[in-house]
Amino acid sequence: MNQILILCIEDESEVRDALVRDLAPFRPVFRIEAAEDAADARTVLREAEAAGDRVGLILCDHLLPGQRGVDLLIELHREPATRATRKVLITGQAGLDDTIRAINQAGLQHYIAKPWQPADLHAIVRNQLTDYVMANEEELLPYVSTLDGPRLLEALAKK
Amino acid sequence: MNARARNAPFAPARLLGLLVAILAFSIPWIIHFHDLSEAGHRVFAIFLMAVVLWVTEAIPLHATAALIILLNILLASNVALIPLPKEDAAPAYTMYFNSLANPVLMLFLGGFFLADGAAKYGLDKNLARVLLKPFGTRPDRIILGLMVIAAVFSMFMSNTATTATLMAVVLPVAARLPAGDKGKIALVLCIPFAANIGGMGTPVGTPPNAIALGALNKAGLHVSFIEWMMMVVPFMVVLLVFTWFVLTRLFPSKAASLSIDIQSTFDRSPQARLFYVVAGITILLWFTEPLHGVQSSIVGFLPVVVMLATRLISDKEFHSMQWSVLWLVAGGIALGDGVAKTGLDKWLIALADWENMAPGMIAGAMCITALLFSTIISNSATANLLVPIGVTLAASPDVAISPLATAIFVALGSSLAMALPISTPPNAIAYSTGAVQTKQMATAGAFVAIAGLPLFIWVAPWLWSLMGLVK
Repeated sequence: MNQILILCIEDESEVRDALVRDLAPFRPVFRIEAAEDAADARTVLREAEAAGDRVGLILCDHLLPGQRGVDLLIELHREPATRATRKVLITGQAGLDDTIRAINQAGLQHYIAKPWQPADLHAIVRNQLTDYVMANEEELLPYVSTLDGPRLLEALAKK
Repeated sequence: MNARARNAPFAPARLLGLLVAILAFSIPWIIHFHDLSEAGHRVFAIFLMAVVLWVTEAIPLHATAALIILLNILLASNVALIPLPKEDAAPAYTMYFNSLANPVLMLFLGGFFLADGAAKYGLDKNLARVLLKPFGTRPDRIILGLMVIAAVFSMFMSNTATTATLMAVVLPVAARLPAGDKGKIALVLCIPFAANIGGMGTPVGTPPNAIALGALNKAGLHVSFIEWMMMVVPFMVVLLVFTWFVLTRLFPSKAASLSIDIQSTFDRSPQARLFYVVAGITILLWFTEPLHGVQSSIVGFLPVVVMLATRLISDKEFHSMQWSVLWLVAGGIALGDGVAKTGLDKWLIALADWENMAPGMIAGAMCITALLFSTIISNSATANLLVPIGVTLAASPDVAISPLATAIFVALGSSLAMALPISTPPNAIAYSTGAVQTKQMATAGAFVAIAGLPLFIWVAPWLWSLMGLVK
């Protein structure tokens, strides 16, 4: 079945595992993939596209080996397949300049400072995915129990 | 499945549905039936195809409706591509096109305008909160309050919009209940069930009612808005109370009280005030038809004109109305026209020996068939298929039941189906919350159906004749 993908890009394996673990409440409905750098992320995105999955949310670290997180997000924002994807920077070390570039050029929707609180992360991811689903999906009902149900139902009532 | 795959026109399941539809369509071209005219054969082919397409949803429901109109014109009208034999009645092709402007659709359009206005100016949510206040905080009282509100709203708004609006209010309340509290299930089920039942209450409550009214008008029976309500609302109320009883007993809550957000802030802008006035006048005129004699479909056009002229409904909102619902109803009317005008109806009815059956049994069978069909397929499609047959059946001299009762039975029977998540969109919404399982929905839904059927089949005809509404 085609699903909406959540992509986590983080080079430190412990942090990456913690992030994926904290996203568990979204797992039954969304597919969660992790990548360790920009090149790895590209591979995951290619596979997702081939499988017909769409990318709903990217949670991206900034200080990655090779291409930096903000530069990757800017590139992805220019590509049709990931234009609508909600983009969140999850980092401790992005400077003001990089963050401004991410907002202006990558359509950055949120900035999460490390270390995160699981409850905050849930709220942010829920909110971002609800926005994504409301803007891009025809069927809203499959997401009511996992995302922001009242908001989805109000959108449904207005249809 | 993603949106693209779901909307792909030629997914395997769709192709299969189309194939079966074509097979069904070709039966009357291959097999010749005695006593059935050539025109009747052609409409029979269209009818069989419609059954398959509406059951499988191989193409969208409203697309099937449009196809019915086109095929009726191309095959069974005075402009048929292969002309009909001289002795056959060849209805004017305009009759089929006219189904798209049937007075019942204008009535329904009026309902859309009121419902969209209510949502736009927040009247629905604010009214819900005001009306919920007197019911207090005990879980079973709150559930009763929610059910009354859902039923009243869905008498004028679509059942789906009613459910979605109220469920958005209820979800946070249900989420605060401790895990394992059965009250959650009652909270989540009470809204769609009450909306399904409330939809029965007025001619604009749900499309099957419009389909029944349309067929009755064609048969020369005019039912006013208030007459419909007098016939149906008593049963609606009994069913609501019964459903409340079942839900609160099957799924009692351990909580002593529930807190629900009942802060209301009515929109006091000039536009909102104008809308309140227009809605009030429209509903008042609908209720008082016997006093002024202006038909409900004409009254229904009043909010359309006023709200468009004053831009209470913007161009954009006008464009995004649920036109597909109107087309679906129109398809049903066109199908009924074809069936009635070509003699197919009489032929179908002659297939069974009705004289030896009790009238109550026939009416009951219609109601049960509608219930079974609409448990699986769309309520409107069910009514589209069954109402024409039911009305003809009732009109034939061999059968001693009233067409009025039969048409209303089919409409009510199709609204009574609420056993599965797929039975109605409101049920699908309840299921999507994850708070209720199919088994629980099926148990509660079966109770409602089992209580509703005898109520309609035995009590309704008696009460209606007592009120002098049905001979």
